[in-house]
Amino acid sequence: MMKKLPSIAFRNIFRNLRRSILSAVAIAVSAMSIVMLFGFLDGMDADMASNLKSYYTGEVRIQHADFEKYERYNPLHLGVDYKSIEPIANTHDQVRSSTARINFPANMYLGEKSHGVMGVGVDFLREKDFIDFSSLLQEGRLPQEKENEILMGFALAREMNLNVGDKVTLLSTTAARGSNAFTFKIVGIVGFPIAALNANFVWAPIEQVQKFLGMDQQVQQILLMLEDKADEKLVAKQLRNEIETKVGSVTDTRSWNELNDFYGFFKVAKFIYYFIAMFFFVLGSTVIINTTMMIIFERMREIGMLSTLGMHGSELTKLFLLEGFFISLIGSAVGVIIGYIGTYYMGKIGLNFSDAMSGIDLEVSSILYPQTNILTTIVVWFYAVVISTLSTFIPSRRASKIEPVEALRYV
Amino acid sequence: MYKKLLYLLLFCLIIPAQLFALTAEEIVEKMDSLSTFDTTHSTGSIQTTDRFGTKITLFNFWSQGKKDSLIEFTSKAERGQKILRTEGSLYLFYPDAEQLIRMQGAALRQSMLGSDISYEDMTEEKTTLDNYQVKLEKEELFKEQDCYVLTLTAKSRSVAYPVQKLWVDKQTFLVWKGEYYTKQGRLLKEMEVLKTFSVGDRVLPKESKIEDKMKKNSFTIMSVDSFEANPKLDKKIFTLENLTW
Amino acid sequence: MKFIFTLAMKNLNRYKRRTAVTAIAIAIGLMMYILVDSLLLGVEIESERNLIWYETSSVRIHNKDYWPDRLLYPLKEGIEKSTQLTKLLGENGYTATERIVFKADMVLYSNDFGEDGNFPVVVTAIDPEKDYEVFHYKDTLIEGRFLNKGEEDGILLGSWLAEDIGAEIGYWVTLLTRGNGGFFEAIDVQVVGIVNCPNPNVNRTLLMMDIDSVGAVLGMDGSVTEIDIKLPERADVDNEVTKIAEILDKGGFTNLQAQSWKMLAKDYLAIAEAKRGGTGVILFLVFIIAAVGISNTMLMAMYERTRELGMMRAMGMKENHIRLAFIFEAGGIGFLGAIVGIILGVVLNIFLVEIGIDYGAFFRDIDIGYRIQNIMRGAWSIKSLIIAFVSGITLSMVVSLLPIRRALKMDIPACLTYQ
Repeated sequence: MMKKLPSIAFRNIFRNLRRSILSAVAIAVSAMSIVMLFGFLDGMDADMASNLKSYYTGEVRIQHADFEKYERYNPLHLGVDYKSIEPIANTHDQVRSSTARINFPANMYLGEKSHGVMGVGVDFLREKDFIDFSSLLQEGRLPQEKENEILMGFALAREMNLNVGDKVTLLSTTAARGSNAFTFKIVGIVGFPIAALNANFVWAPIEQVQKFLGMDQQVQQILLMLEDKADEKLVAKQLRNEIETKVGSVTDTRSWNELNDFYGFFKVAKFIYYFIAMFFFVLGSTVIINTTMMIIFERMREIGMLSTLGMHGSELTKLFLLEGFFISLIGSAVGVIIGYIGTYYMGKIGLNFSDAMSGIDLEVSSILYPQTNILTTIVVWFYAVVISTLSTFIPSRRASKIEPVEALRYV
Repeated sequence: MYKKLLYLLLFCLIIPAQLFALTAEEIVEKMDSLSTFDTTHSTGSIQTTDRFGTKITLFNFWSQGKKDSLIEFTSKAERGQKILRTEGSLYLFYPDAEQLIRMQGAALRQSMLGSDISYEDMTEEKTTLDNYQVKLEKEELFKEQDCYVLTLTAKSRSVAYPVQKLWVDKQTFLVWKGEYYTKQGRLLKEMEVLKTFSVGDRVLPKESKIEDKMKKNSFTIMSVDSFEANPKLDKKIFTLENLTW
Repeated sequence: MKFIFTLAMKNLNRYKRRTAVTAIAIAIGLMMYILVDSLLLGVEIESERNLIWYETSSVRIHNKDYWPDRLLYPLKEGIEKSTQLTKLLGENGYTATERIVFKADMVLYSNDFGEDGNFPVVVTAIDPEKDYEVFHYKDTLIEGRFLNKGEEDGILLGSWLAEDIGAEIGYWVTLLTRGNGGFFEAIDVQVVGIVNCPNPNVNRTLLMMDIDSVGAVLGMDGSVTEIDIKLPERADVDNEVTKIAEILDKGGFTNLQAQSWKMLAKDYLAIAEAKRGGTGVILFLVFIIAAVGISNTMLMAMYERTRELGMMRAMGMKENHIRLAFIFEAGGIGFLGAIVGIILGVVLNIFLVEIGIDYGAFFRDIDIGYRIQNIMRGAWSIKSLIIAFVSGITLSMVVSLLPIRRALKMDIPACLTYQ
């Protein structure tokens, strides 16, 4: 009898196809949803990470060793020498691209009116791997090197009633701790998926900013993007040592996930979403459990019949366990495969969200690309199989304990 | 007859004493007038020290009466920058800016060049008596000079330093030292003249030190390298048009 | 009709276990949907809440001339007769509090802080009694105590600011500022309390003092720089702003303006920006799982009854009546499940909304660099409750149609011997 259990179980599946399909579908849908959810969450994760790295920190950030300590005093004089550090960074085989930036708070004057803004000096050519300005342009063009031209966030432009072609004067403290003012012409308006950038920022060619702030050849930060799968912390450490040995200056060189300020929030956001994912698991599991349990109860008479034929206790339980196992194997597999394909497809075309940022009426469309992950998919498959198989256990044990006579009476 | 002579003698003795004893207001008036010229032209430097180190800025300065003045910076970092004070406002000129920046109201409280001198300090008009009640406390020696020690109490809330204590030279009416306090008597800033020079019959500060007493190691030294009293100046240099030239 | 209905109800009673199991399946599905929706909504409004509860309040009143210069924090363009105005607002049902916000240089001394230093700050002077009715600082104190009314020497710090400068309870700092008119003033204050709230911007920059003493020191003569008003969470903010503007006009306060938090929000940085569309996808997936769960259970429940259905047909009951009876039964199960689901969902949601889940405990200080206090809260959505309820019942009834149709199509003997 024992040897034949698997084949009996297998045949049972086909005997009542409707029931088996019902069960399999429940398992499949739950598994599929969980796979797609994780794909979606991974996409959001990647999106957040990408925003962080492109707009704020790069994957590795190099700045003056004391800059962070004195940050609240806006220490423009604490800069790093781009010309000597950049070659070192670029010769590292894990470094893909580099760029330099200068962030400076300034007062923007239009005649008598003034408004606080955050200015950023960037090298528009090198920024391609970081901020793809061309794709963010809503109007106009990118500033030319060596010209006093700037890009402005669209929300800022809208609030100050400015257009392409208008001129603004920026007043800022300089690296010499004095002050200076430059007039810039707005040549382009940009839209980022981040509200703060659109409402408070302007971007100018870094050489002009260096002149403006009296920084000579220094820059405030050097950002690096690394090759895929590079170990960011390790590369940062290596670079820090190299720079110290070759150039002789101690720098603050860290990877983006070591920068507590930014990375911290990122982790919190991740946590929240994964917490919600947990609910999914619970829900999916309950559906699977419920379905399997119902099926067992439905087959009380059958169980009774089998008992009278001599199958008892553990054999009976094992039979249903096997049945559940086979069904969940297939159902789960079908579910995760569909989930994987669905995620893959959505990952290619992207989910388009018109972002109405809560409370701030800025419409920015951003595209989310769900990400596929083989490991997650396999884990979900495995999990679904285990849960379904286990959930046949209790009801089938219960059923197997009932007296055959009782069972036969079940309608 | 004797009585009349006695009274006359007494009278003569008393009056000179009164004539020689100046009131606080009079001291202040003399102090203000002796530091005001019809026009001036000077060059000098401002040396600022703060937590990040020391910096020196060179300037050219012209003034006309009490209300108009022009500073042009000649040191490398600030070359071409100018500050014009006229018609009650302060205008900043930067060579690479296509508009003038006007400083008004609260913006004037910002520090100039990161020093302990604010734009507001630059625009202060020497109408001390308009702003302050003055009282002569005592006479004291400061740096071996006989000085009047005056306490000035602000008449209104719009005066930056509610209480000032000044050491005014009895001979030259130069202000050797100034202490600037809050109403409760918290010392905010201290000014001290380190060196002096003479112009005609007046004595002016050649080197003065202004120290922010609320911050550690924060002081500014203003030095005058050359000085011309009442030169002939083209009135046009105190106009906005000239600033943008 | 009544007979059919009673029949359905009797059937529900007869198969108690089946009814219960099916209803529970429905209940769980709906409950999950409600809770996930609540959490997602809560996360979305979190950033809004952070702003309104700790920074902007719902509506703020300024002097019209204050607004263009607001980043300079002027004291001159204030609100006079503010106590009168607050009272007037109170009479109209608005909870309002006065505040004076001013710029200062905070000076630290080495005897407390180990080294001297100074840097620019913005200080908020509050009414220690009324402020907590408008803002949510009540639960945020982590060390020391709150301010007392009229307190001259006390200051509250945000926790990150305290950590940044190394401040502890009892340390003294000096605030160097300019009073109303421009006169210099130095205020010595002692740290009496430290707050930690879910808004990191606040934690990074908050300095609070008592408004009466600050008003006196700065020579405000009873005027304040702003009045903040709290509105209920679901209020139509723009509508209320218009109403408040009317009150201002009628009360003679024509030089004042009221602005909603949305207008103020532009000046405040948004840290984590939730993608609104994203939560819709998550909710949709939850709905799918729940729907499948409900459908499955209902289908199985109904298929089980095929023989019974056959019996009813054999006894001559009309097809329509049979269909109705089963639909009612399905609807009844759905209804039960929906009720239980909604109740469970609501009860758990009360916990989520009022208390929330404290995930700050999951992050060690080192991870983020600062201690974070954050609570994931749910939010109420009547719309979701209705959707859940209606879907539960509708889905149950619609899904039950399939097996019924099939059973009605089979010939009666086949029905009766159905396994």
